[in-house]
Amino acid sequence: MQDFLAYTVLGLCLGSVYAIAATGLVVTYSTSGVFNFAHGAVATMSALIFWQLRFDWDVPAPIAIVLTVCVFAPLIGLLLEIVVIRGLQGTSEVTRLVTPIALLLGVNGAATWIWFRSGSRNIVPKKFFGGSKVDILGQAVFYHQLIGVALAVLIAGALYILLFRTRMGVTMRATVDDRSLLMLNGGRPDRMSMFSWAIGAALAGLAGVLLSPQQGALQIFALTLLIFDAYPAAIVGRLRSVPLAYAGAMVLGLSKLYFDWASDAGQKWLALRNMRNAIPALLLFGALLILPQDRLRGAIVARTRERFRVPTMRQAVAWGGVLIAVIWMLQTLMSGAAVISLANGMSLSLLAISLVLLTGYAGEINLAIFTFAGIALIAAWQFDVGPGGLATKESLSVPAILLAICVCAVVGGLIALPALRLRGLYLGLATFAFGIVVNQLVFLQTASLHANIFGLKFTVNLFTTGSLTMPKPHWFGINFNDQRNFLMLMTVMFALIGIGLIALRRSAYGRMVVAMKDSPAACATLGLNVTRLKLGVFMLSSGISGLGGLMWACQQRTLANNNGFDGFQSLTLFLIAVVGGIGYVSGALLAGIFLSVLSVVGPNVLNKLGADYPGLHWLFVSTLGNFTKFVGPALVGIGLGKNPTGIAEQVMEGFRPLRRTPGAAAVWGLGIFGLWILAWQEVIGNWTFAVAVILSAVLVPMIIKALYPDKYIEEELAIHGEDLDQIGLGRPFRLSDQAMLDNALGIVPPPREVSHVAP
Amino acid sequence: MSLLECRNVGMKFGGAAALSEVNVTAEAGTITGLIGPNGAGKTTLFNCITGLLDPTAGQIILDGKDITALPPFKRARGGVARTFQRLELFTSLTVRENVQVAGEIRNRWGSRRGRVDPSDECARVLEMLGLTELADRDVSEIPTGMARRVEMGRALMTRPRILLLDEPASGQDEQETEEFGELLIQLCADGTAILLVEHDVSLVMRVCSYIQVLDFGRIIATGTPSDIQTNQAVLDAYLGEDQHA
Repeated sequence: MQDFLAYTVLGLCLGSVYAIAATGLVVTYSTSGVFNFAHGAVATMSALIFWQLRFDWDVPAPIAIVLTVCVFAPLIGLLLEIVVIRGLQGTSEVTRLVTPIALLLGVNGAATWIWFRSGSRNIVPKKFFGGSKVDILGQAVFYHQLIGVALAVLIAGALYILLFRTRMGVTMRATVDDRSLLMLNGGRPDRMSMFSWAIGAALAGLAGVLLSPQQGALQIFALTLLIFDAYPAAIVGRLRSVPLAYAGAMVLGLSKLYFDWASDAGQKWLALRNMRNAIPALLLFGALLILPQDRLRGAIVARTRERFRVPTMRQAVAWGGVLIAVIWMLQTLMSGAAVISLANGMSLSLLAISLVLLTGYAGEINLAIFTFAGIALIAAWQFDVGPGGLATKESLSVPAILLAICVCAVVGGLIALPALRLRGLYLGLATFAFGIVVNQLVFLQTASLHANIFGLKFTVNLFTTGSLTMPKPHWFGINFNDQRNFLMLMTVMFALIGIGLIALRRSAYGRMVVAMKDSPAACATLGLNVTRLKLGVFMLSSGISGLGGLMWACQQRTLANNNGFDGFQSLTLFLIAVVGGIGYVSGALLAGIFLSVLSVVGPNVLNKLGADYPGLHWLFVSTLGNFTKFVGPALVGIGLGKNPTGIAEQVMEGFRPLRRTPGAAAVWGLGIFGLWILAWQEVIGNWTFAVAVILSAVLVPMIIKALYPDKYIEEELAIHGEDLDQIGLGRPFRLSDQAMLDNALGIVPPPREVSHVAP
Repeated sequence: MSLLECRNVGMKFGGAAALSEVNVTAEAGTITGLIGPNGAGKTTLFNCITGLLDPTAGQIILDGKDITALPPFKRARGGVARTFQRLELFTSLTVRENVQVAGEIRNRWGSRRGRVDPSDECARVLEMLGLTELADRDVSEIPTGMARRVEMGRALMTRPRILLLDEPASGQDEQETEEFGELLIQLCADGTAILLVEHDVSLVMRVCSYIQVLDFGRIIATGTPSDIQTNQAVLDAYLGEDQHA
């Protein structure tokens, strides 16, 4: 009993720090409508700043904490709000979720760059008051922990009063409810949003400083994950209620400590020794189950800036063929190492393509895409290889692939079920939590699991040796262990899935899925069972990610259980897929290739340049290399607010002049083909070929625009419209403008007449 | 027996009562007007009838069956269709697709006999609503008045027994409104009940056989158009008690 009370005291102390972090999340969400995924990163950055001040610059603790929590952390919050968050007005829920993910990666990347770029730094945070303790109910409690308890109570009380009892609090909450109405009433939403982000960041900073001594040596991603643990508490408060978030934090702290108490700190049950780390995610699931049904959302998307065009089936098939041809031509020119990089990229594209259906078409979110890859790997490995090892099987079999797809689809359905009645954000968080639980309890499971069900004894080995080796296929007499063959196999798979997805998008089912994204409320009033459709889409998408994930695992061949399953890699791929253009198959292709280029090829090229030109080593390796490695993915994500439709759309826009002049396009295509033949025959070098292709891709559309301005302008106007008030000021008024004005005013002839009116 | 009956429906948001003991009925083959000043609770009542809000009191009865506890999609399958005051269009789709997808949704739950050919039915509805020329335009590009017709076309594709129209004439000019009124009369000729929320009082007076007036969440008057025009409580609600004496 004494033990139990002692653990209760410690649980409340831990819960208090979570409460500080969780209330910070509540403040930012309830006043800006953005779930701040970067909260943990801001906490980590603040903790590092604090320990920099304390250890390296010997600033006294009270001054250091005031500087960190009241100056640096709020400044980070302000900066994020002004530079990034403000640009998210009028974007979809997906973009508003992804941008903070980019911030998370960016802030963590920046922290790594500043403090850990050499990789050997050892910062060991200490407790306040030198670890002095006081005895409470037989448990020695550090002053450090008591400070946390006192601050948590004070902060929760102060925030509750601020948000619900002051005029400023009402204005802050009004900012997220109706920004324009608030402005009409003399409110200043920008200022309120800045203020709330500053408070949120200050609270994250405080939580970071208080939690950091728990860790031993400070590790960036581990500390960020510690702050992630507080997220379920904020969810208990539906991201809006400070008292509920506080209560949730206490439940969380107590649950962790009671688990320690019951399991002798994880020693009692070996199979559950990582359970402590999974408790927050399990609580998140529990919180999602008890949350009341969300009201069916109306057409929020109608007011957002994302627009995705749908290709025709002919275009889809043609582009699928072009992709296969181009990859085949490219691999003939590439070295073995380059082919591996491209194949890595293609395997990531195969994973990302499942998001086109789920997020691009249906507007739902999966933040555990690599978890499905891991599950597919385990399913196929158990079926094809088993404990006997590779000697028994040297080819991935089709039944193993089908099994992996089915297992992923079923698991996806089970995970999505509790969250489907809620908004997309909660589904995203549920999947993220699921990823963490599976990582802790399955992927990091090195013990053999023995079970005895109804007298049937069996043993399951998951990652007993810490890694699994998966054979590549050997089908139709083709050995796909050859990296070039496997690249082509994945390319064909990608093209087929892409064509299939476009066919699905153009079908009645696809229209329903898109309609559901645009207005679930309208769909329900037309008789559509929105929950069932969402479930179907989630299962289908999980199945596709199972296939993609298995191909990714085969591409890696031997996959360690710490290889990207901790959640951050899933966040990165989701982020890059949205940046690539989540509504387009080509966006998924760009995402995979881009991620591979950014994480491997980019730094390699810069390292080579640094080695070739030692005088510029500081530029290529120390600056550009680290920048690409640490903050590159984040930066592209942060730019998303400016162009929420993604890069694929911009690329297509760039090539639009070619579509209007098929003759010129054909000449350009032939030119590229000619260059490839020259490179293939080694008449010109690969770099010459690459530079020529890139230059021509940039220059040819510009030249066509200059040569055929009328064709281009007509189309430009038809697509983008023009500021109607300005027509005739910057250029002569044309008859076609009359049609456009009629059109805009709704007194129109059919649209095709616009292009038939002579200029 | 009325096709649709709202019995003592109440809806509270926190402490504020948006609807109190509202009794509204709609008969098959007739157009019933539901009017009232802004904020009277008309759209809230529509949300309660279609299941987007769960009323805090009372019952919704469709053709003698209590549908109060049914989710929105089941009510729609029972024959309730609506348009929205604040447009709820599928902005990723064209005008034609917006209408067609409603038929496709219907085919998922309609009986085999009641299935429609979505593209044929869609063409017929677009023609009836005067939308054929705009059919291949993105729905986000068309003027509001036309967009309201798209919503109506979408609702018609489900072959509803009762159609709830929330300010369908706003954004339309005088002539269009007149044509629209004729269209409503045509629609209810085959037995469809229409519950019409509309601020264009002349349209309401012209097409409705019966009118119910909501104010501050309560029904303050019911009767034929001529009854309503002279009803003291209605005049008070619209013009203020001192303004029309």
